[in-house]
Amino acid sequence: MTRIAFGRRAALLTGAAAFAAPAVLRAQSDPIKIATLTPLTGAGGPYGPVMAKVAASVVEEVNGAGGVLGRKVQLLSEDDQTNPDAGVRAARKLIDVDKVAAIIGTWASSVTTAVAPLCWESKTFLCTVSGADSITQLPHQGFLIRTQPNSTLQVARSGEFMLSLGARKIYTMIPQTPFTQATIDLMGKLVSKAGGTHQGLVYDDKKTTYRTEVDQVLRTNPDMIFAAGYTTDTVVLLKDIYRAGYKGKIIGFGYSINQKLIDQIGQPEVVEGVYTYSPSPAEGSTAFERVKKATGLANPDPYTCQVYDHANLVLLAMAEAKAATGVAIKDNIRKVAQGGGTTVDNAVDGLKAIAAGQKVDYTGASGPCDFDDKGDIIDCKFRYEQIKGGKITLVKVA
Amino acid sequence: MMSLVQALVNGLVSGTLLAVPAIGFSAMFAVLRFPNFSVSGIATLGAFAGYVAYGAGLELVGSLIAAFAVAGVVGLFFDRVAHLPLVKQGALPAAIASIASGLVLENVIRLGFGNDLRGFDRPIARDMHIGDIRVSPQQLETMGIALAIMLAVFAALAFTRIGKAMRASADNPELAALKGIRPQRVTMIASFVGMGLVGIGGMLLGLDSSIDPLTGTRILLSIFAAAVLGGLGSPMGAVLGAFLIGIAEELSVLTVGSPYRAAVGFFAILIVLTLRPRGLLGERAF
Repeated sequence: MTRIAFGRRAALLTGAAAFAAPAVLRAQSDPIKIATLTPLTGAGGPYGPVMAKVAASVVEEVNGAGGVLGRKVQLLSEDDQTNPDAGVRAARKLIDVDKVAAIIGTWASSVTTAVAPLCWESKTFLCTVSGADSITQLPHQGFLIRTQPNSTLQVARSGEFMLSLGARKIYTMIPQTPFTQATIDLMGKLVSKAGGTHQGLVYDDKKTTYRTEVDQVLRTNPDMIFAAGYTTDTVVLLKDIYRAGYKGKIIGFGYSINQKLIDQIGQPEVVEGVYTYSPSPAEGSTAFERVKKATGLANPDPYTCQVYDHANLVLLAMAEAKAATGVAIKDNIRKVAQGGGTTVDNAVDGLKAIAAGQKVDYTGASGPCDFDDKGDIIDCKFRYEQIKGGKITLVKVA
Repeated sequence: MMSLVQALVNGLVSGTLLAVPAIGFSAMFAVLRFPNFSVSGIATLGAFAGYVAYGAGLELVGSLIAAFAVAGVVGLFFDRVAHLPLVKQGALPAAIASIASGLVLENVIRLGFGNDLRGFDRPIARDMHIGDIRVSPQQLETMGIALAIMLAVFAALAFTRIGKAMRASADNPELAALKGIRPQRVTMIASFVGMGLVGIGGMLLGLDSSIDPLTGTRILLSIFAAAVLGGLGSPMGAVLGAFLIGIAEELSVLTVGSPYRAAVGFFAILIVLTLRPRGLLGERAF
């Protein structure tokens, strides 16, 4: 998987080459440095290598078309090992030694939370795919954006979907998490606005049975249950809901209600008809097609699509600013990401348009890539699926 | 009102499942004289041993025996190697060592099986209704197994030579030794059987839900609370304690909310230690 072995060796080689060149030439051809910091090992190990690969493909394309601001772009790639300690060490190296302008692709929320302060202190721009609400609430002074929808956006979308299915009496069953109260409040507002009723029950995710909880919920005759837990507790919960004879609809997060959960329960009728939803890349978009080509994957994961967008956005922001620093990216990234203008789906086209004096609006593989002041994306596509006969089948991407 | 009765029934069911490991925990305390917190790891180990056996085609009973045997042997090993040598220094060092053993076991299991959830491939049936009360046929079955195991344990303690020897040793080790009961042997048997019961408990709990390396850790507090509540060292007390904790945990869902379930265990320990440190049935009530 780790075919892109940039990192130290590549850095040394480029460094040596740079020193061998005459001084005048060196000043002109000093490359612009950006870096991926993705999990090549650890829990994020299945994602990180492809993420780094797609970023490398963007840089290669841009260099092939003449680079940015007349300079080549050099992509460094480090492994955060899905571990905050290792992430911080790697980030320190990238910031202090390599002096990169931007770090892209941090995956685990814990890693992003640890790395973010190093970035804003050193005025290095950070693009992340981590989802925890708390990340954009950090005092990052604008040096951070994320392309993963936060839980507020996720819950709002699920609520709208439930209402569209005709549900009017919705019950949310959710364990204690950082987003529990926010989820219940938000669902309450959404549902009551649509003329329905909503109730929430917070459960203990370490219990081995939820019979009493399920009884309490079913007493209100809900027509939809939002099972907002993680896989471990949702397995127990769904079994107990089935045993209790519930006939209404059920929906849950895609990271929890997945094929693993279906296999675990082992009896298709228990999960028959259960809905699940998750943030989706902009399938069918031209940028998504480009990611497919660059990675050679028929179905690239959302994180890979997001990192593709990170790389493009960062390079476009530099071109727009006519400067290759973290501050320049911070001040200009929204100018190239949103606000109308020529729609572009890759950096090469965007760089040409910017050079021609046009305003560009980047639309990426992960979605429209428009950001609010805190650095959260304003909108993205979601993938709604339903379990039928033990298989997850697509309902819609919207 | 109906919800109250239903919660009581649910509490009885979970109490029965909790009782098996609680008996093991309490019986070990009676003989070994320290609270063996490695039950968290041993319960997980039992669950996984049962899972492997069940997957290999052994029926439920065969798998329970596998869970018992593996948990018993490994538990005995840890007791001999890590805990018992420390008991001479006092119960606390042994108890702390047992926490460490539990962590070691949990992570060895994680190394072998990963963090993935696994479930026993058992049919999930809709509940039966008795009046307005729901009971699950599977839970009745698991409950029946748990009750049968408890009966067997108490019969063994009451009627067999080794059961009597264990009770004698627990009551007064010196006197028992004078009467020709070999304390070393009794200790080993108590450790093996106690850990075996904990292993069975882990599997019984896993039957209904799912298992992963944290299975035992999730129930550790409830087991400990049940044993303390009934009187540490008293198997019968452990059963009573398990029922009370099971019911209290379910009732807490109706009153203070399910996230405070853990608080119920701690609160029970607090009350008992304050008002009746010996526990409801005292220490020697076999």
